[in-house]
Amino acid sequence: METSTDSLLSTSNAGDELKIKVVGLGGAGTNAVDGLKLDDLGEAGRVQLAAINTDAQALSNSPIAEKLVIGRSVTRGLGTGGEVDIGKKAAEADRDAIAQLIGDVDLIILVVGLGGGTGSSAATVVAEVAAKTGALILAFVALPFSFEGARRKRIAEDSVGELRQLVHGLIPLPNDVLLQEGEEDTSVLNAFALANRWIGRGVNSLCAILLKTGLINQDISSVRSVFNECGGRSIFGTGSATGGDYVKDALEDLFICPLLHMGDRPSQLDRLLVNIVGGTDLGIAKVNEIMSMVSKRFNSRDDIVFGAVIDESRSATLEICVLGKVGIDDSRPVAPTAAAPQTAPVSLSEGLLLDPEIAKDERPPRRVHTSKLSKKKKIPDVDQEEFLFVDTNAQRGYFDKTDRNLYNDEDLDVPTFMRKGIKIKIKV
Amino acid sequence: MSDTRVVGAVEIGTTKVVVLLGEIVGDEGLNIIGHSICSSKGIKKGVINDLNAASDCVHATIMQAEENAKSRIDEVYLAQTGSHLEGNFNVGTTNVSSSDNIVREIDIEQAKQDAKRRKLPQKRTFIHHIQNPFALDGQPVDSPLSHEARQLQVGYWSVHGDSSKVSDSLRVIRGIDLDVSDMIISSIASGVVLLEDSEKESGALVVDLGGGTTDYVLYQNGYIVKTGVVPVGGDHITNDLSIGLRVRRKSAEEFKVKNGRAYYQSSDREEKVWLIGDLTIGDREYPLAAITKIIEARVSEIFTIIKEQLQEAALYVPADIACGVVLTGGSSQLAGIDECARRTFGLDARVSEGPLDVAPELRGPGYSTALGLLHYALTGQEDRQRSTKPTGILRRLTGLLSLE
Repeated sequence: METSTDSLLSTSNAGDELKIKVVGLGGAGTNAVDGLKLDDLGEAGRVQLAAINTDAQALSNSPIAEKLVIGRSVTRGLGTGGEVDIGKKAAEADRDAIAQLIGDVDLIILVVGLGGGTGSSAATVVAEVAAKTGALILAFVALPFSFEGARRKRIAEDSVGELRQLVHGLIPLPNDVLLQEGEEDTSVLNAFALANRWIGRGVNSLCAILLKTGLINQDISSVRSVFNECGGRSIFGTGSATGGDYVKDALEDLFICPLLHMGDRPSQLDRLLVNIVGGTDLGIAKVNEIMSMVSKRFNSRDDIVFGAVIDESRSATLEICVLGKVGIDDSRPVAPTAAAPQTAPVSLSEGLLLDPEIAKDERPPRRVHTSKLSKKKKIPDVDQEEFLFVDTNAQRGYFDKTDRNLYNDEDLDVPTFMRKGIKIKIKV
Repeated sequence: MSDTRVVGAVEIGTTKVVVLLGEIVGDEGLNIIGHSICSSKGIKKGVINDLNAASDCVHATIMQAEENAKSRIDEVYLAQTGSHLEGNFNVGTTNVSSSDNIVREIDIEQAKQDAKRRKLPQKRTFIHHIQNPFALDGQPVDSPLSHEARQLQVGYWSVHGDSSKVSDSLRVIRGIDLDVSDMIISSIASGVVLLEDSEKESGALVVDLGGGTTDYVLYQNGYIVKTGVVPVGGDHITNDLSIGLRVRRKSAEEFKVKNGRAYYQSSDREEKVWLIGDLTIGDREYPLAAITKIIEARVSEIFTIIKEQLQEAALYVPADIACGVVLTGGSSQLAGIDECARRTFGLDARVSEGPLDVAPELRGPGYSTALGLLHYALTGQEDRQRSTKPTGILRRLTGLLSLE
């Protein structure tokens, strides 16, 4: 309790260096950030970790340097007890402190578990505050298991709907889906840890692509080019392998990543950021091979931004991370409160290597391949999306544009095995 | 010519559009003179979500069937499905009017009116009022006319649907300049041709597992006591496999047809199946257990939902469903589906072999709904001529719905 302070450690290295801040929100978010292993990136101080919670006790146990207890005046530091209204009040009460914690960085990565009181409600407030800084905001959000009940699910869905309009990229991590990844007898506790591992992989890969020197470097503007608008849906997947035919294995691992298979997603991708982290033996030829396989798989060579980084300490190992956006046509321009990222048009041309003429066009610079998704949309969809929109939407895939199929609070269009937590082992 | 009419039975399903042409000659009976099946477009979970695409493929199928029959359709009988269909049981009551307490025609009419007087919320349209037994002073009778009693009651299972969804499907047919004479919900249409009268008498549950919906009808004592639609079908099984195995829909569909089974057994863990099976690059091996576990979860859930709905209506009494479960529809071809039904319902279950009085090529599960529509086109005519019929199912609908 006493160790948690409202103060923040001064952000040390100023200058032109790119600054990234990873902010864990609520209990689950804080836990995930606690578990992040940033290797050398953290030590260099270029990636800062922070945590925000209403529960002072929980926060005091976290090893994270920057910690903020919000809503002391509302909860007396005792958490929200799962009440969203309390969480909202708590966050609203401490807007200034949140703004101070966020500070001035280029990229903010929010990590939050939805369904509870703090994360679900504070996330939107934090995102609003963050949007004012003009930073690029990505959010990794863990979604509750179906068995956690309809109430938590509804809270999570509402929150995703709001949050999606505020951040540049919202990456949903449905626990039901993540459970599929573990071994057959994964317990729920392990499943929570799994979610954290996924978040860790994503954050690490994103930081590596931006901060490490590699074969193919990408900077923040290329990331912005992928996530240049708020709204829309994002996708995220990783694959890795070590030893043997690690290129083939890592690709295979990526292609069967459950997060990329929530319906026929890959063919509907609009813009994609692909990062490869390899060992010392990763040559440009292998990188090329990977790139062509990945673009072939995702059908949109033109809209893929590639990055490749060498990790000097490793060899015969490969990690591929894919981050992207789908349904760009759905997304709206940056949230009104946010300072528009002035770099967007420029970065587009840089990142996507597009003809500058096209890049200057106001509309999203892609009409090369039209995804099935956009063809179906004759009706203005933006409002509809707000309505229908829920995040398990990402899992609706094939049944995307149909009425929801609710029975006893469960969406029957979502695979039964997933809702019931039945593990499917597909590796022979 | 005067007494001959050509009826088109049209089922706009999620997976396919089925059209059967039947020639009805007076009271003689029915000849099936043409048929056609095409893959559906613009339909999901039994509901039209792209009117143009759906119209195009329905029109093409109708024309193909007409060509096949070398004849033109005079009127259409249309099947209805989709989660928007709902049913209620309503009881109409009247006091017998005459002083001698003998039930007359007018009393029966009065009781029927009373049962049907229930108003629907806006944007809902009745599709069927299915008559159940009469009761005289609480005692069930089939035909109350001329009996003595003070009070006459009649029950109706009434099915209604979303007006705009129903008129969408009517619009598709009108678009090719044909009139819809009547609409019949898919489950009833399938049920009528698949069950013998004796089976309806002793009680049977017909489950029609389609591409996007599963329609069911429960018969007890010869009457339809409940119908229902679960908006889940074969498409969901394919989708689950696609997500669970992380393969494309096409491959998932192949796995379902080739390797699928509706229940899991432990030996599936050892058995492996190939995605493509020709050792090309990109081929992968999958444990059969992954496939059967995914399918079992889905199929048993469909059956569980039906069972729960019957339990809710207090109709799940195994003794009153003595003939058990009869499975039909495209997804009933899934291996082991009868076993899965047996385990979930705790009732006897079999996959229907189709009506035996039609040509072998029409006995497949895909045609049962359309055959049922033709059956009603025929018996509906009898209904008009003879005026009394135990299962007075047909209600003229044309004119009830405004299409504007």
